[in-house]
Amino acid sequence: MTLSAYLPQRARVEKVSRLTDREKLFTVSVPAGFELRYSPGQFFMAGLPGFGEAPFSITSAYLSPGDTTFELGIREVGNLSAAIHRLVSGDSLWIRGPFGRGFDVSGFAGKDALFIAGGIGMVPMRSLIKTIAGQSAGNGYTVIYGAKTPEELLFRDEMEGWVEKGFDVKLTIDKPHPDWSGNVGVVTTLIPGVKFNPEKTLAVIIGPPVMYKFVIMSLKEKGLGPEAILLSLERRMKCGLGKCGHCQIHSSYVCQEGPVYSLSELKDMPEAL
Amino acid sequence: MDKNAQYRFLTHAGFRRFISGLIGGFVVYGTIKKDGFPAFGLITDSKDLVLAQTPTHLSAKEFFFPQRERLLKFDMASGSHSPIVESRDQVVIGLHPCDIHGLSLMDRVFSTGTIDVNYLARRERTIVIGADCMPDEYCFCESLGTMTIDNGFDLFLTEIKSGVLVSVGSEKGASTLTKYARPLPPKDVHLKELAKAWEKKKRSFKAKLDAPREELPGVYALSDAHPVWEKIGAVCYGCGSCNNVCPTCYCLDVRDEVKADLSGGERVRVWDGCTLEEFAKVAGDHNFRRSRANRLRHRFNRKFRYLSDKFGSLFCVGCGRCSRTCLVKINITEVTNELIRDGRAKDDALGIPAATRKG
Repeated sequence: MTLSAYLPQRARVEKVSRLTDREKLFTVSVPAGFELRYSPGQFFMAGLPGFGEAPFSITSAYLSPGDTTFELGIREVGNLSAAIHRLVSGDSLWIRGPFGRGFDVSGFAGKDALFIAGGIGMVPMRSLIKTIAGQSAGNGYTVIYGAKTPEELLFRDEMEGWVEKGFDVKLTIDKPHPDWSGNVGVVTTLIPGVKFNPEKTLAVIIGPPVMYKFVIMSLKEKGLGPEAILLSLERRMKCGLGKCGHCQIHSSYVCQEGPVYSLSELKDMPEAL
Repeated sequence: MDKNAQYRFLTHAGFRRFISGLIGGFVVYGTIKKDGFPAFGLITDSKDLVLAQTPTHLSAKEFFFPQRERLLKFDMASGSHSPIVESRDQVVIGLHPCDIHGLSLMDRVFSTGTIDVNYLARRERTIVIGADCMPDEYCFCESLGTMTIDNGFDLFLTEIKSGVLVSVGSEKGASTLTKYARPLPPKDVHLKELAKAWEKKKRSFKAKLDAPREELPGVYALSDAHPVWEKIGAVCYGCGSCNNVCPTCYCLDVRDEVKADLSGGERVRVWDGCTLEEFAKVAGDHNFRRSRANRLRHRFNRKFRYLSDKFGSLFCVGCGRCSRTCLVKINITEVTNELIRDGRAKDDALGIPAATRKG
């Protein structure tokens, strides 16, 4: 008989590192027999008995077959994420997945790309950046990343590596800050200054819901078409199985057909953004 | 095939014996009168069962997709989880044609993509005995093609003066009938009475949709900006009653329930409702359907457009339960007819010929 699709598997927390005051990075290994395979943009349902489950974006890159670990970047916001934040290496985390449709990385071949992230949107974006960086030199790649404060910018220590790979990394924070000499303003303020050829560029947007409309507007002004704009949409999810209805936008279940969509796929879905 | 050949006849006494037999062999639920209203309830005496009536306030989905259902058991010390798949041999009597259509849609939801073992286990072990009905002021199944039913049941009952006509819909139904009853071939007079009852039923509808059902997804597709959503949103309580009573609303929440001594607990799923405020809220308090107008638009579209895009069938079966239960009298046929009417007026204004209209 088919097993319950709600039954999670025991994964092991291998390493926990603090990213910011609110976010931690968890390196998690899958149990024996679990064939780990994922694409950037996909997520796991992760949970703890008594605290429930929630969707968490994968932040690592699946680079070699046989990988048995992946990384989750988790912000402490509620009961479950707080309980996960209390885990230490050796503890169990219960997982189902990976779920969803991630980024089609082959679509980036021969293209330039803008990776535009806001806040915790860098968690899934890092998976995409690392995947692409692992496959090709990044001469036409620009990362545009903003957060409220310098402390909240995630993975700053890794960005030098991205620059070495040829990525142009542009950072911004929302308001002036004594320790910050870089750009101040929302991510949209950086877009006009980026030169790109709209004929051969893909833009990826991942961030808080409020960010999307404005970033899309700026990209359209620069001549980018809706099929060249890719977004990962955040939604509430309870099952990951296309049943619970929470993530539904029109006829699309984000946990199945998303979270990654091209803007052209969302054109008749006014509730999407 | 001769349509009449499917029918068997039971006298009233024979029918009561049949129900008593079922009670002896299964857990039996059926339509009863509760505080004067039709409802589904446990049948422990054949006299409790009351057929041929208007729709029950709650649908029969509870018997296949309970309001609260255990999915997993977990132990807090070891962390181990074990699945719970609960089912038992049960009979549900008195689903009207709309309810059976609704059940068939639920079957598709829970067996499409990831198989839902909890639902299917219950479904597998349930004998579905449908029953004919009479519309009340809210029923509009005739407009949706769900007034009659050819399959999806094991047995189907129509009460007539001299007894009960039984239509057999499955092998399981056939064997149950012969095991617990001694059905007779129907007489012509019985079948004439049946035909008459159907005619009467057809004439009795007060609520109707003003467009053929094939046009409804198109009507809804052009109505995202229609003022009706703000109008009904302004009076909606956001109470979720429409979701609760609907035979095809299957949205759910998953929760952990922990024992008081913290030794373990259960992961359960419970009915949820897209008209409830929290339904589409994410971290940071961002709500993708903050207004009641948006939530109602979502619910109505799920019935007439979104899920038909996905499954190829409308997800409204015309039972009228949402209208019947609504505290502020939001009425699904009136809302849909308003969209139909204004869609046509727009087409007229644009001079679009009727033959080429989408909705």
